[in-house]
Amino acid sequence: MQGVITASRRALPFLYAAIFIVIVWQVVVVATKAHPSVLPPPWDVARGFVALVASGEIFLHAGVSLARVASAWLLSAAIAIPLGLAMGRSRLLERLIDPVVELFRPISPLAWIPLAILWFGISEAGKVFIVFIGTFFPILLATVAGVKSIDPVLVHAGQVLGCTDRMSLFRKVVLPASLPSIVVGLRISFGTGWAAIIAAELVAARSGLGYLIANGMEILRADQVLVGMAVIGILGVGFDAFFRFLNRKLAWAE
Amino acid sequence: MSTPGRQAVSGKPITIDGVTKIYASRSGAPVEALAPLSLDIAAGEFVVIVGPSGCGKSTLLYMLAGFSTPTAGSISVAGEPVSGPDIDRGMVFQSYALFPWLTVRGNVEFGLERKGIARARRREIAAEYLALVGLLDFADKHVSELSGGMKQRVAIARAFATEPSVIFMDEPFGALDALTRRFLQRELLHIWREHRKTVLFITHSVPEAIFLADRIVVMTARPGEVKSTIAVDLPHPRDLTADGFRDIERRIYADLDEELARSFAQEGRSEGG
Repeated sequence: MQGVITASRRALPFLYAAIFIVIVWQVVVVATKAHPSVLPPPWDVARGFVALVASGEIFLHAGVSLARVASAWLLSAAIAIPLGLAMGRSRLLERLIDPVVELFRPISPLAWIPLAILWFGISEAGKVFIVFIGTFFPILLATVAGVKSIDPVLVHAGQVLGCTDRMSLFRKVVLPASLPSIVVGLRISFGTGWAAIIAAELVAARSGLGYLIANGMEILRADQVLVGMAVIGILGVGFDAFFRFLNRKLAWAE
Repeated sequence: MSTPGRQAVSGKPITIDGVTKIYASRSGAPVEALAPLSLDIAAGEFVVIVGPSGCGKSTLLYMLAGFSTPTAGSISVAGEPVSGPDIDRGMVFQSYALFPWLTVRGNVEFGLERKGIARARRREIAAEYLALVGLLDFADKHVSELSGGMKQRVAIARAFATEPSVIFMDEPFGALDALTRRFLQRELLHIWREHRKTVLFITHSVPEAIFLADRIVVMTARPGEVKSTIAVDLPHPRDLTADGFRDIERRIYADLDEELARSFAQEGRSEGG
């Protein structure tokens, strides 16, 4: 019960925001007498949304986008977390890899889309590649930062309590001590991944929420575009809330 | 020994032979933290080191624990040279160093698990040591829910639970208020008497040193070496107002004052030059 109350209290600002957006939107539609193919009124979009839900199409596209993000994000985590742990503990490794990271990091994942299309066409691999680029660096940097911020006294405590080899020290002290920071990296990267997949699907896909939007534009269905955008926003907020919840489960971080 | 233990001595002797430590300062100039320092500590003895700030007490303790190596000289426990950290040499840190992702019990069981003790037995041992520090009811709490004094009691239970031969304590009560400190000093003596580990304890507090120690080692200003050692032959529990206590206090303060004057003079010189 308590949980339901706090959850609804958290959701309240989003409800206000939604009402505000709909009002402004309606005012703009009325004031500019915009053609429905350019800016449909909220009501038309709501109807379009219901139709997409009823046909199940929206779930299909959202599911495809989510599956792409999730698989690429997991792949990123599987590589970035061990690498970050090692970089955080080894100055040599950090000096070796950090310049490479710094060079690649400012290149937006979107800038990789042309190469992804050249290499992978419009296959799934291309999309996974783009999201991988978008999610890898946030996870890596958060992991390195997490390891480096570990109080050295905890490492010493681990050593005098029997973690005398590198592996057990990693498993028993370094990993759990940097976990809160890693979870933050996972949350942030899921957000960047979610943004990247939409962009990738806009350009090169036959399914997914990005495709839904691009297709809406091509067939002059602004309502479909707006439904797609709304679903992207709502799911994004939902994922973020889920990761915040996970973060709280690791409450010792405070 | 001034306090005959109920149990047989299970600690091991420590030999520190001509240990020096020179490290590079930020400007690159070598800093001599310890002059050749030699000290023999008997099995089961409770030795307290006092000395001016920066005299290398903590440097010495970190070398004893195996976190760093001496520039010259040797350290051995029961004849075995110290070559790195080991579960047989426990440590209690000033900042507690509890693992915040584990419960109180989890912290005490950490070393027991590393020793390969089965789960059920781990629970028993952890309960025994938590009871010894009066925190059995808090076994399932998280570290963040404890006060500083309680945290240090958990850390003491954690250090003793693995039954190391020697335990190093780096100003363990330095961050606690005076009353909590008094209480924990008694508790520590109680545990030490039950288990008779060799304890090497660092403090800034002269009364604390006299209250706890079999023997007090006063260190010189940097580079640190042994200035004097004073055996404390007063019966436990020690009365801070007794004449014998006061006599020892006077002697230690006299030694420390000399060293403080020397260390201030040094600082003046290095600032001037």
